[in-house]
Amino acid sequence: MSSPHSGFVSHSVPEPADPSAPKGVARWMNRSLATRLIMMVLGLLLLLQLFSFGAIRLSLQNQARDVLPKQLDTADHVLEFVLQKGFDQLTSKANLVANDTAFKEVAAGEVKPEDIETVKSAMENFGDRVGARSVALLDPQFRLIAFTGEPGAKLTARFPDLAARLKTALADKKSAVALVLMGGRLHQLVLAPMKSAETTKKFILMIVPLEDSIIKESRNLSEHHFTLLVRTQGEGGWAVAMSSLPKAQALALSAVAWAPTTLAAGAIYEQGADGEMLAVRTSSLNQMVSEGWPAGAGPAGGTEVLALLTASIDEATRLKSDLQLALLVITIVGFVGFSVVSIYTARRVTTPLRDLTQAAERLGAGDLITPMRRMRRIDEIGILAVAFERMRVNVADKQQEIEKLAYWDSLTGLPNRVQFSQAVAAAIEHAQAEGRGSVAVIMLDLDRFKHVNDVLGYRLGDLLLASLAGRLKEHGVRGQDMVARLSGDEFAVLLHHGDSTTAQAVAARISHSFEVPIELEEHTVDMGAGIGMACWPDHANDAETLLSRAEVAMYTAKRRAAGPMMYDASIDASSAQTLSLLSELRHAVDHGELRLFLQPKLGLADGAVVGAETLVRWMHPTRGMVPPMEFIPFAEQTGYIRKLTVWIFEEAARHWTALNAEGHALTLSVNLSTRDLLDQDLPQKFASMLALHAVPASAFCLEITESAIMDDPQRALQTLERLSAEGFKLSIDDFGTGYSSLAYLKRLPVNELKIDKSFVMSMETDVDDRKIVRSTIDLAHNLGLTVVAEGVENAKIWDLLRELDCDHAQGYHMGRPMPASDFARWAASWNGRRSGSSSPDASASAAAVGAVLH
Amino acid sequence: MHPHSLLSILALVTSVALAPAHAAGVTVTVTDKGGQVVTGAAVLLEPASGRAGVKPLAPVEVSQAKRQFNPRVTILTVGTAVNFPNFDTVRHHVFSDSPTKKFDIKLYAGTPAKPVVFDKAGIVDMGCNIHDAMAAWIVVSDTPWYGVSGNDGTVAIDNLPAGNYRLRVWHPAMDYNTEMPPVPVTLGASDLKLGSRLPVSTSP
Repeated sequence: MSSPHSGFVSHSVPEPADPSAPKGVARWMNRSLATRLIMMVLGLLLLLQLFSFGAIRLSLQNQARDVLPKQLDTADHVLEFVLQKGFDQLTSKANLVANDTAFKEVAAGEVKPEDIETVKSAMENFGDRVGARSVALLDPQFRLIAFTGEPGAKLTARFPDLAARLKTALADKKSAVALVLMGGRLHQLVLAPMKSAETTKKFILMIVPLEDSIIKESRNLSEHHFTLLVRTQGEGGWAVAMSSLPKAQALALSAVAWAPTTLAAGAIYEQGADGEMLAVRTSSLNQMVSEGWPAGAGPAGGTEVLALLTASIDEATRLKSDLQLALLVITIVGFVGFSVVSIYTARRVTTPLRDLTQAAERLGAGDLITPMRRMRRIDEIGILAVAFERMRVNVADKQQEIEKLAYWDSLTGLPNRVQFSQAVAAAIEHAQAEGRGSVAVIMLDLDRFKHVNDVLGYRLGDLLLASLAGRLKEHGVRGQDMVARLSGDEFAVLLHHGDSTTAQAVAARISHSFEVPIELEEHTVDMGAGIGMACWPDHANDAETLLSRAEVAMYTAKRRAAGPMMYDASIDASSAQTLSLLSELRHAVDHGELRLFLQPKLGLADGAVVGAETLVRWMHPTRGMVPPMEFIPFAEQTGYIRKLTVWIFEEAARHWTALNAEGHALTLSVNLSTRDLLDQDLPQKFASMLALHAVPASAFCLEITESAIMDDPQRALQTLERLSAEGFKLSIDDFGTGYSSLAYLKRLPVNELKIDKSFVMSMETDVDDRKIVRSTIDLAHNLGLTVVAEGVENAKIWDLLRELDCDHAQGYHMGRPMPASDFARWAASWNGRRSGSSSPDASASAAAVGAVLH
Repeated sequence: MHPHSLLSILALVTSVALAPAHAAGVTVTVTDKGGQVVTGAAVLLEPASGRAGVKPLAPVEVSQAKRQFNPRVTILTVGTAVNFPNFDTVRHHVFSDSPTKKFDIKLYAGTPAKPVVFDKAGIVDMGCNIHDAMAAWIVVSDTPWYGVSGNDGTVAIDNLPAGNYRLRVWHPAMDYNTEMPPVPVTLGASDLKLGSRLPVSTSP
């Protein structure tokens, strides 16, 4: 049994869609802006509809809360009215019977025993008129005179005190109706007095079944349901006497432990019955019945009747079907409408977005020409399109600018190296495609352009370059040929159909053009240039190689100070062989394949060993001794010479320590190249090695060629000054071959001049050379410099130099370059021979030396 | 009158009209609405003009037993006396409020001392004052040619002189004071078979 409980249960509003939707769905929904937009709009609509639905439900519930009690009140009145009407009719019928003349004729007078049967037959007859199942005739003291029907017997059996009860009940009433449960069925008990002239009057008591019609009638008058529950007092559960509810619901209601004495009058209870929620009101009928007779008043055995008025809460709160339909139609129409509108809107947004995306991709792919679409829209899309368009135009401008920077030289307006390289490649490709013809490249590097910059300033330097560009165009270019500025003072000419002859002709023209001085404002500048040429397919297979070959030729021309030079494999320092040479040379330095050789330097006055020139030899593991000429120039070109110089310097320092320990106080000469002079770190490197080997700087004489200095006199001077300041002796090597001015030489912190061997070797036969040597010696001595002569190959030269008062001599006649380790032995033997033929004076000693030498 | 019954009666009448004009018998079969033969229907043949003249019958008995009148329908001639003996243990109060004959025999047992004389033609509706279920009828006839249908629903009337008659039929199931419309019958020498179909149903 369940218990009745008060109040309404609030029905929950349906939840919106589960937020923890599967990930796949989420991904799908996130995939496109349009889908998301549509989903959002439709979702909101659905949510709105759900809210409306919920609100309507809530309102219905509230209304039901308000209305149902009132309605059930009314229903209660209806039931009371119907029941009372039934009672009244019954009472009046009973009174009619009781006072029927014919009945009175039979029953009013004294009833003799022989009359009983007639009385009973009359009571049955009149009882039938009111539908009574049982009729009893009572005497004035409510004693039973006669009764008909079975219920009457039960009645008397159940209520032995019937008379007393009736007496009480009728104390102030003419008649009374009561409900009583008999044979599981509710009956109305109605008592009617027989009116009579006699002072004592009889009564008839009729037992009439309570018909379902009261329920039906009530139900007709009120839309609610009526249920009568009954039980015999003290006999446990309720039974359904009659009900307009479906049987299952009525049974469910009867299963509730209703306790009429504790029920609040007029209260509404909520009770679930057979799956439906009912509002239940107990009826005042209970009150009515208990006032009557005999229910409620008696002890055990009395009948309890409970009338319940019910209304379905579910029914009351259910949406009317037409409202449901309306909501459904609104939802569907709204769904379709919103779908169409949102799809349209989404397309209006996403289609241009897709267009813009494509446009952006076009931009990304490099299409800077196609203008944007949809720029005329005035919304955000339009603004975005305009922004994209601006970006496109800007990018296009920038691109143009970058291309200009990338492919053009801004100073001369000539194509730059990149464009030139591409043009060469294109020309080669074109020629290849045609299957004939050749391509020639002429490359120029101005001589001493730096000097011009230094002396005249950069502005005029730039003017010079621009002017040269004009001149090159004038002389070098035919039709589609191209003149380009490759770098600072490097220019190049591309001859599209140029073979070596054409190239040489053009090169000659250009070279010739340099003979005319260039006028720069009030200055007149003489310019020269190293000109190199290379041709495809003679010298190279591709553009890159062609350019590098032309460059090689150019540098060679420059080095040789010769005219235009056509590339030739023999001059190529960057050929495959030399490239491998570089790696081999590196290997040589790292693996001790290099040897330090020393060539003695003797004092001409006494033949004493005063020093040695350091030379490097390469003991190649497979090629044997590699001559210096095969790798030194190459090392100079590649810059590897700096490494070699350092190596030589350190080896020399080591050997000097050893020689010094054996008592040979020598000055070791080390050759410096242009690259060394331009190396700002060189003095530092030397200083650290001197410190490492504990050798004084004065132990070294650094030899520099004139040309090495003249490449960049300014920087060379700086380096030399620093070296001199550290205590190194400095020597000008190969003096006489260059063009160094005496004025400049004077500024150099040198200690020694080394006369080029070409003069020395031929002085024996050439009077002029002898004069040059003599005047050089004089000049040097006048400047306070020591003079060294190289290339002393015989005793006659030795003698001549001695006569000319030259200070030192070096040459095969005295000693060839020898391994440094052999030098100590050689020096000892030389000194031995020298002292063995010692003479008192210097000349004698020199002669002795000469003898030794001869 | 039901058009069907009229038609059928006319058909029968026509079929016997050619018979010779002697005394003859008439058999009337009474059926109800559903075509079932009807017991207890009173059938009278009245001369189309003038009076036949009747004599009272010997006293007739309408008894009460098991709280029922027996017989329920009695037909007799004007001036006949009727006794109402009560064979039940309960008493009865037999009465009539019909204009044809009003009487009231208060609660009695046994046979009342005085019989009731029915001196006027018509139908008398009788009951017991304390037993509503008890009912009986006496048809008082002023023509000598009558009868009450038996279990086969027929009434046979013999020795009718040839001539014109009115056929009247009545049954208790018919509304109070209502009978079948009279049907003219012309009788010749030969017997007639007539039928009458009541507009009511008599089966319970």
